[in-house]
Amino acid sequence: MKNRVIKWIDQRFPLTSFVKNELTGYPTPRNLNYWWNFGFLAGFVLVLQVATGIFLAMHYKADITQSFDSIQHIMRDVNYGWLLRFMHSTGASAFFLVIYIHMARTLYYGSYRAPRELMWWTGQTLLLLLMATAFMGYLLPWGQMSFWGATVITNLFRATPFIGDQVVIWLRGDYTVSDATLTRFFALHYLFPFLIIGAVVVHLVALHTVKSSNPSGINLADKENIPFHPYFTIKDFFGLGIFLIVYCVFVFFLPDSLIEPANNIPANPMQTPNHIVPEWYFLPFYAILRSVPNMVGGVVAMFLSVMMFSFMPYLDRSRIPGGALYRPIFRLQYYLFIIDMLVLGYIGYIPPTSLTILIGQIATFCYFGSFFVVTIISRAEERWLIKRGLPPGVEALMASEAREQIVLPHRRRSGDGL
Amino acid sequence: MKKYIFLLILCRLASPVLATEAKLESIRVDTGAAAVQRGADTLMSACNSCHSLKYIRYRDLAAFGMDRNKIDGWRGVQSMDAALAGQMSDDAAIQTFGIIPPDLSLMTKAREGGANYVYSYLIGYYNTPEGITRNHVFPETKMPDVMGMSAATGQDQRTEIQVKARELVSFLAWAADPHKEERHKLGYYVIGYLLVLTTLLFFVKNQIWSRLK
Repeated sequence: MKNRVIKWIDQRFPLTSFVKNELTGYPTPRNLNYWWNFGFLAGFVLVLQVATGIFLAMHYKADITQSFDSIQHIMRDVNYGWLLRFMHSTGASAFFLVIYIHMARTLYYGSYRAPRELMWWTGQTLLLLLMATAFMGYLLPWGQMSFWGATVITNLFRATPFIGDQVVIWLRGDYTVSDATLTRFFALHYLFPFLIIGAVVVHLVALHTVKSSNPSGINLADKENIPFHPYFTIKDFFGLGIFLIVYCVFVFFLPDSLIEPANNIPANPMQTPNHIVPEWYFLPFYAILRSVPNMVGGVVAMFLSVMMFSFMPYLDRSRIPGGALYRPIFRLQYYLFIIDMLVLGYIGYIPPTSLTILIGQIATFCYFGSFFVVTIISRAEERWLIKRGLPPGVEALMASEAREQIVLPHRRRSGDGL
Repeated sequence: MKKYIFLLILCRLASPVLATEAKLESIRVDTGAAAVQRGADTLMSACNSCHSLKYIRYRDLAAFGMDRNKIDGWRGVQSMDAALAGQMSDDAAIQTFGIIPPDLSLMTKAREGGANYVYSYLIGYYNTPEGITRNHVFPETKMPDVMGMSAATGQDQRTEIQVKARELVSFLAWAADPHKEERHKLGYYVIGYLLVLTTLLFFVKNQIWSRLK
């Protein structure tokens, strides 16, 4: 019976072949390390956020006179409402943590290079959608930091040329952040996750076209690829277990460590908090915003700082595979960049003084500088490494690529499989 | 690299400059039922005349296990489902203090430092040489020294006030996070389960990967 049903479906829909080719039998490089778990984890957190979010929406009231109270209703009266709410609020941080590690892995191993540019750019789109979703969700509790954070950030759109003021009013639906803003943010906060799911599908279709990169950066022969199931299903589940332990420590024991105390005070448009800070995941970009003295310049710099990553396939001109693995100078640059991000995050967190503003400006300069330095150094490093001699496997691959480039002259740099 | 280390050191140096607030006393919040109940007593006699706890109802106090007669005394003619409203009207409060006293339901969550802040604030009153009562932690406060710290003479009296303030914070911490105990209890089970599951998954993973040669 079961076989007949499946046969009936297979004649109309590629069910068996899809499961075989894309899920169970999907060829995956056997040398993937645990840094390759984070894509799966991001997908898991997305499901978690949607699931908890839908149940929270059943009890939440998007109305400025009731929203703060309705959160307290969820926290106190709804059965396990506190669990739903803390899972969702902790999930937001978990989502960014996982995505940032996922991006850091891509940068370290150079996985953004051809032919995976579209994966990198759909990923970049996902990051922007995630940031927008998180930002709108943060307004919903209608606490002090919700209100003032939304006020500061929507205000940035004044930097739009010619129609800045109108754009801000259009976004808020009012002259200030108000009930109209809250209801539209709620509607969009419910919509955006589904856009994210759509973008994830595009991301995965691209992945299954170009297949996973791997730490060596070398396109592995068939014998080095193993079926996704059971090898990577079990590896992903083990990674998920580790992730859930860390996540649950925060959900059950430290949930308030991720919530700014001022957000437990209802929004008060008449009283600015002493110190407006965004959530931790926006801090480096917020520090860049504050480092530029001119408002328009700051907004452009902040936007660019997020978008700079998408240029990496063109900025990194080295043909050495494996990203930082075989490239000592790139590796050094990578770690300096991570440290620079942490410095920016810290500067974004503390109230500005003349000293911290200066440090922030230097760190901002280093942030953008590292993207430009990559273009120069990557080529020089490549020449130096080739002169010094690469591991034999890497040299063989580069030779085969050079042959391929004669066949495909339009593909100028690092060919398939990087 | 050196430059970054230098910058990091600079950042560390920068932070003490910013810490202008008074240092907070660090306390361990007693979550025991007895301390929370004595804290409720103090709150109803010392705080509730001005401050409300709008997310706490008399029924919640009963559910916590507080003495029913005491609750009936506090609520008077109000229903069990009434919230702990402050006894002073907003107009009267503005006339007297110039501001509406903040609701206390979330107080231990709504300040940087949490319970430590509230405790340090309560015992932070002192008299200046000019005889003005002020507060170390929150100098702009409009609240009078209800705990009587500034007028305390002997060490015994001070200790007594500190104990009372501690119990009051115990109650406020419960009011701000009434499911904390339940959350921690469930958390131990969940994390225990996950530890066992993850360990098993680790062995299964090794077993499956050992098939690869």
